[in-house]
Amino acid sequence: MEIRKFIFKRLIEILVIFFIILTVLFVLLRLSPGDPISRIVDPNMTPEDAQRLIAQLGLNQPIWVQYGYYLKNFFLGNLGISFHYGQPVTSIIWSRLFNTMILFTTAVILSALAGVYLGKIASWHKGEKTDTWLTLGALVCHTLFLPWVALILIWVFAYKIGGFPLNGMISAEIWTDPASGYWLKLLDVAHHMILPLVTLFLIHFGSYLLIMRSSMLDTLREDYILTARAKGLTEKVIRNRHAAPNAALPVITSVGLSLAFSISGGALTETVFSWPGIGRELVFAVSNNDYPLAQASFLLIAIVVLLSNLAVDVLYMYLDPRIRY
Amino acid sequence: MLKNNIILFILLGILFLLPLSCGKQQEHPILKIGLHEEPKTLNIWLASDANSKRILSLIYQPLYLRDPETLDLIPWLAAGPAEFHPETISYTVRLRPARWSDGSEVTSKDVAFTGNLINEFKIPRHYSVWKFIKKVETPDKHTVIFYLIKPKAIFQDRILTTRIVQKKEWSQVVETAKKKKKPLRFLLNYKMDNPVGCGPFVLMEWQKGTYLHLKKNTYFFGKNKRINGRLLGPYIDDILFKNYGTSDIAVLALKKGTIDMFWWGIQPGYLKNLQQNKEIKVFFNKKSALYFMGFNVRKKPFDDVNLRRAIAFLIDKDFIISRILQGYGTRMDSIVPPVNHYWFCPDADCYGKGLNRKKRIIKAYHILRNAGYTWEVPPVDHSGQVVPGKGIRTPDGKLMGKFEILTPPADYDPLRAMSGLMIQEWLRAMGMPVFSKPMAFGALLEKVKGQHKFDAFVLGYGSLSLDPDYLRNFFYSANDKPRGWNMSGYKNKKFDQLADQSASEMNPEKRQKLIWQMQKILMADVPYIPLYDPTLIEAVRKDTFSGWVNMVDGIGNIWSFCQVKPVSKWKSENSSLKD
Repeated sequence: MEIRKFIFKRLIEILVIFFIILTVLFVLLRLSPGDPISRIVDPNMTPEDAQRLIAQLGLNQPIWVQYGYYLKNFFLGNLGISFHYGQPVTSIIWSRLFNTMILFTTAVILSALAGVYLGKIASWHKGEKTDTWLTLGALVCHTLFLPWVALILIWVFAYKIGGFPLNGMISAEIWTDPASGYWLKLLDVAHHMILPLVTLFLIHFGSYLLIMRSSMLDTLREDYILTARAKGLTEKVIRNRHAAPNAALPVITSVGLSLAFSISGGALTETVFSWPGIGRELVFAVSNNDYPLAQASFLLIAIVVLLSNLAVDVLYMYLDPRIRY
Repeated sequence: MLKNNIILFILLGILFLLPLSCGKQQEHPILKIGLHEEPKTLNIWLASDANSKRILSLIYQPLYLRDPETLDLIPWLAAGPAEFHPETISYTVRLRPARWSDGSEVTSKDVAFTGNLINEFKIPRHYSVWKFIKKVETPDKHTVIFYLIKPKAIFQDRILTTRIVQKKEWSQVVETAKKKKKPLRFLLNYKMDNPVGCGPFVLMEWQKGTYLHLKKNTYFFGKNKRINGRLLGPYIDDILFKNYGTSDIAVLALKKGTIDMFWWGIQPGYLKNLQQNKEIKVFFNKKSALYFMGFNVRKKPFDDVNLRRAIAFLIDKDFIISRILQGYGTRMDSIVPPVNHYWFCPDADCYGKGLNRKKRIIKAYHILRNAGYTWEVPPVDHSGQVVPGKGIRTPDGKLMGKFEILTPPADYDPLRAMSGLMIQEWLRAMGMPVFSKPMAFGALLEKVKGQHKFDAFVLGYGSLSLDPDYLRNFFYSANDKPRGWNMSGYKNKKFDQLADQSASEMNPEKRQKLIWQMQKILMADVPYIPLYDPTLIEAVRKDTFSGWVNMVDGIGNIWSFCQVKPVSKWKSENSSLKD
């Protein structure tokens, strides 16, 4: 199938899937117990107050009327106003999106680069000490409990040794000081990023390493590797030019999806490091029945994941001309 | 070569960033406070979360507030006590000279505007109190007269403690809101970027998700004045609020000196660690809180007061306090917390106090047996020894069905979840087929408050008002409706009569008697079994700031923020005194 035709067909599929997600999301959130008012434990909130608020939020209307407004507003580009923040959800998500991306996307890229590189090395030295230690290290890191790693890193490097900030994304002391310049503020953000980045790196690089190692071992058994050796190519060239690019295909799928999901952040990492990202907001929105905020966050993730899938498929076709859908 | 360069680059980068961790030395000391979560909004009408309310309490001020020691209402923005005129059912309040943070004068028009705004928009959580105000008159710019529809005992505690907003700031918003299809929603969603208040601090900057910066309000009416015998500042120029998602990190921040105070209750588990640090001072304060077990008295077998009383005997509150709360809590034997000295009834029925496990079971057994309950294996045998009970039957001869005690999950509140489990074990010893069931807080509230589909539950109010009007809210027959606060479905005509009387009784002594009677009825009927009132544990650094004021509900009160001084200032003042 022609690439253009394939992309067009996939875009149509994406639209259908997205519409299904749009509907399922609406239904699921409303099926969850309670409503945005039910969690306000304040004896001064009378049933009449609650009813008035429910009416103001439009939640007293029949569910299909609410669904109609939901679809209409979505297609008009209006994702609504957060029940708890009282602000348009787009502005809330937008303010958090950059923070999430700068941390999580960087972490995915760094982990993938390291994972691919080390996976390549491990497979090349299969059965040797290098392979054993790298594989063992990857397995251990992959199974570590994220908050535990985060707390240990904070305790050692931020509290005991004291080289890093305990949490947050910026130092209020630097940002409130009018004398602080642009570069100092930029460095401050970088400084705050190191510990969460190391945590995410430690947790994630192992999976890429293991995928790469396994894929590389399969590739090394291929005939064209034998041919390359017969041609008298150096081991380095065979490994880096012939085996690794072919073995990296499964990793690309994994990285593509991880990159897409990275915009949803991570509630645990963001909570431990008080990183002002989307992950915590998403958890807050769902647990507090803040429908507009939850809907908008999930829809954003859905769009990015669907488009990333498409991008990965196209990339596959580009990297391996044998692949056609 | 390239690899080595990359490693060198990373190492240099880290070395370059290291000095940043030391932070910059500020020219003047900034009070740095850790919050558990970021405030959601600075719109006072929308704010329902604890942290928004905390920030706003330093900006917007009420006419009266509580004295930290006596808990009496004392004039704050008001110049003196409110004068009651029984013939017109009105109160006259005179304002002290005060200015808003923009320099304009605080007048009676602002007070009237605040009340009218609440009543006009029927602002949730405020309207239920203000709807009893017929009109607010402003004979001059420093006098306000509140006319009540009928005598209302909560007037002083609730209306006079409402935070006043500036007419100039809000009138335009109100006018625009009125033109909208959903005026209340417009008002609640109004983005308040720079709230104008008359409190000790004003908003300087809010970097969403990272910090909130308050600055000293130079127009604060209490500055250098002695109010209620306290010389007020504020003596600090700036406050920085930082967010800490977990208590673990906040405690480390406190120990490291990144923050001077953590404005959140600290779990007893951290205490030993904090107390070992010489630079940390720990405060213990009582809370006006109520944690309880409630029954659904609308359904069998919980409609039987004997069963509820027997369960009250079986619950070992002292065990809950000593083991689950690690000793940091107070046993509750009434719905009103003991710390609320004036309204707490000391001689209401008390269940199981001082009894050991065996005696509690025997007591419960006798109550149930006399009420017609039977067992396949009674929990007390012929020789009077306690044995595991089995197969309890209700007075109508039916086997008692399985029932659930709903609790919040352990990650939300481990104390309540664990209390539920312990209660389950104590009741099982009597042969009751009970299961403690932790569930998501929202789902729990929906079942208990919205649908009334439950057997029993363990819930709590972390911050009850000091006026006991909530007794009426929680147990008044008419409040037994979906979303109503009478979650148990308790109905008692005598109680309703007393509640009505107490709501309109303006004489404090007479009202106290009514409130005490209400508590006695409740403890006799036990729709709720009060369990405990946890101690509020807070920690500050003592090498940076000093002068925190203890009060019910903690040191994070307006008195503290008006009196806290940098330690250097205390030292210099003390040394000059010695000189």
